[in-house]
Amino acid sequence: MTACMRMSLPIGVFLAALLFAGGALRVDSQEKGLSVARVRHFSYPTFTRIVFEIETAAPYVLTRSGDGRSLVFAAYEGGLKAASPLPSINDGVVRTLELKQDDSKPYISIGLDEAAGDVKDFVLRSPDRIVLDVARGRAPEAPARPDASPSTVIVLDPGHGGKDAGIVTAQGQEKSRALEMALALRKLIKRKSPQLAVLLTREKDQTLALDERAAMVNAAGSSVFVCLHAAPGKDIRVFILEPDTEPAPRQTPAVQRDFLGFEAASEHQEALWGRQQAAHIAESGRLGRKIARLVTGTDNAEPIQAPLALLKAIDAPAVMVEIGMEQDRHKAMESLAKGIEQYARGIR
Amino acid sequence: MPEGLDRRISRPAGLALWVAVLLIVFAAAGLFFWSRMEPPLPSGQAAPQGAVLPPQAVRGDASVVVMLYYPARGGGLTADSLGVKRQFDAQSQAREALSALFGYQRAGQAAVIRDLRLRAFYLDPAGTAYVDLSPASEQRDVRGSAWEELMAIYAVVNTLTQNFEEIKEVRFLLDGREAQTLAGHIDASVFFSARPDLARQQ
Repeated sequence: MTACMRMSLPIGVFLAALLFAGGALRVDSQEKGLSVARVRHFSYPTFTRIVFEIETAAPYVLTRSGDGRSLVFAAYEGGLKAASPLPSINDGVVRTLELKQDDSKPYISIGLDEAAGDVKDFVLRSPDRIVLDVARGRAPEAPARPDASPSTVIVLDPGHGGKDAGIVTAQGQEKSRALEMALALRKLIKRKSPQLAVLLTREKDQTLALDERAAMVNAAGSSVFVCLHAAPGKDIRVFILEPDTEPAPRQTPAVQRDFLGFEAASEHQEALWGRQQAAHIAESGRLGRKIARLVTGTDNAEPIQAPLALLKAIDAPAVMVEIGMEQDRHKAMESLAKGIEQYARGIR
Repeated sequence: MPEGLDRRISRPAGLALWVAVLLIVFAAAGLFFWSRMEPPLPSGQAAPQGAVLPPQAVRGDASVVVMLYYPARGGGLTADSLGVKRQFDAQSQAREALSALFGYQRAGQAAVIRDLRLRAFYLDPAGTAYVDLSPASEQRDVRGSAWEELMAIYAVVNTLTQNFEEIKEVRFLLDGREAQTLAGHIDASVFFSARPDLARQQ
């Protein structure tokens, strides 16, 4: 590692001219420096936001240590005061915020976890705030596509996995059953329609959060999404997202809404997260109906509408299929493969 | 008052007074014990589906009958009527009904419900009920299929919304906090309203 890389790297220096334009931020000419009235933080699936509410404005400097494990937030000139205690976040991205002193100059040290990725900083007004967005690692990687660029991408999601075993019955664990079914389904679809790209969110026993799964599916450019689960008994049930599910909390306090300005792209993405499925409700219904009728062998079978946590963030026609542990798996997978193929043929 | 007159009145009158006092005491005791008697045991009678049933008073207003919705074995929700202790306001009465649901043997056999217990309950003036749940055991995760989780959620939602006109929607919390799901599938961050379509057709 070079000496240059070991040094602290300045990643943001806001000059007085930038901050003072428009006169929204007040500067005490007698005492230069930053006065932080309050610190808020929000943990989102893809990033952590730290908001410094500024009482006395001044230019600031944000630097990142060479090893990337901490940030230093300080006034460009003069001191830095924090009126309230600084929070411990500990959300896997940001650990703690501490007020420290270096060569008689105070600064806020922001400890980062290994998952912390790029840092973006920007200024908001009314009230005056300095916002730091610390990304959670790298953007989720889409499952590798085996084909060059097929137009139709089917993503299968074996439910649960890793620490989350799902239900456990005499027939085994749900996580293992779901993976077996997904692998069998991929094989069946590829055998009949080799031109279709069939991807899995997991191909081994691993823990994946619901938001991680959704991010992977969306990054893969999925055309059809099928989530596979197992249930006790013999029944097969097909679910789609309830059309009127409202993911955004209706009673979010005004003070929190205030931070959801649309100055940053990350904020815009965050505001849309969980609403992606709304654009595909009709198509999901069509897919769900086709699959439900084939797997149950009933002409008028309809999918069950439910507020499913995973499906709401999927940006493609999406269903969840729950297959009884005592059900004939091979027969169920053949019907399911047929339904997916028929639907995919219609959208190509 | 002359001495002779006082004796003439006091003897029979004293006896009558004692008899009257004893009668009043026995009557009061009888009323007290009658009012403290338990309500009838669950009838097992299926509820009329989809109808809002206000809690019904029984036995001198000491108890009310509520319909407890719970997952049926064959799929869907079914309901039994059960007497619960009368409370003085809708919030306390709804909490009493929910406690009865979580303590009801037939409901307690269902997945997800059996792994949860009622931690707290709050009803706001706008008609939103906040049901704060926690795992029944620290050693055991809350487990169930998507269908079982959906049924558990709507057992609570239908029990509240079908018995109490004041309750328009239900919000779930886990250990006092917003939770993404209760058992891994159903979005618990939304406001739930009644789903009469999930009741099993009789």
